[in-house]
Amino acid sequence: MANITLEGEFVTLRPLAVDDAALTLAWRQGGRAAYLNVGAQSVEQQANWIASRPPSEYNFIIELKDGRPVGMVSLSGVDTTHRHAEPGRFLIGDAEAVQGVPAAVEAMKLIYDLAFGTLELERVHGSIPADNTLMIKWQKFMGMTEEGRLRNHFFINGKFQDAVWFGMLAEEYRAKVQPKMEVFIKAARRQK
Amino acid sequence: MSRKDAVEGIIFQALKTLNQERGPDEQIDIGADTALFGPDAVLTSLELVSVMVDIETLAADEFGQPISLTDDEAMGRDPVPFLNVSTLRAYILELLGE
Repeated sequence: MANITLEGEFVTLRPLAVDDAALTLAWRQGGRAAYLNVGAQSVEQQANWIASRPPSEYNFIIELKDGRPVGMVSLSGVDTTHRHAEPGRFLIGDAEAVQGVPAAVEAMKLIYDLAFGTLELERVHGSIPADNTLMIKWQKFMGMTEEGRLRNHFFINGKFQDAVWFGMLAEEYRAKVQPKMEVFIKAARRQK
Repeated sequence: MSRKDAVEGIIFQALKTLNQERGPDEQIDIGADTALFGPDAVLTSLELVSVMVDIETLAADEFGQPISLTDDEAMGRDPVPFLNVSTLRAYILELLGE
């Protein structure tokens, strides 16, 4: 797993470590993770999963500036030939700690800056279960364009659901999304 | 119902929708003073975006007039118009030409 730290104004993204297994497992078993893929069922399994992340993945813990871990996010499937990747595994595990803090916005901005800046990718993409309306609204606000649907792609909560497929190009990020995120963060800065 | 009450009703409806996404012990206490943004906010930024998008949709249906709460103009204002329910209501009424 790639070992870099990304610094923002409100949050830091530091590499996910095996020592985070218990914390991230607890987050993944909470109600807010209902739409994530079924993963490890024990701390040991979660630790093994973390230890086995390939070098092509960037997995992060989202930390507030006082060091409190509040969530996780990743950039996986990094393909340097076709220059695309998939942001995902995005979860705010400690929602109470980030109330009033633009943690989610800044964490995604750091991921997009990594993808389109440092890694010089052309495109990011991903899919979301159709019932996950909160995340669909979020991704559209984050500048993602709905590109299609995969019918009955997920089996979650006892039923099949379509996967809504989203994508964003580097040009779209620089022209529209990055400025919007910066305005949001600036607004939060004024309220500090 | 006055337009002011209608706008407040839309904001409350969007917050009720958000409460449906939250657990029983995480319910937001909805009222005119409910803080939406800033240090006292009871929402995460992800939830705030969801509420704003829902309000935009509900307002367009109710008033037949599109409003944008998630554009640079709204977020670039000082003070931010969505600090709490009351300030957001005032901003939406302004957008509606009241």
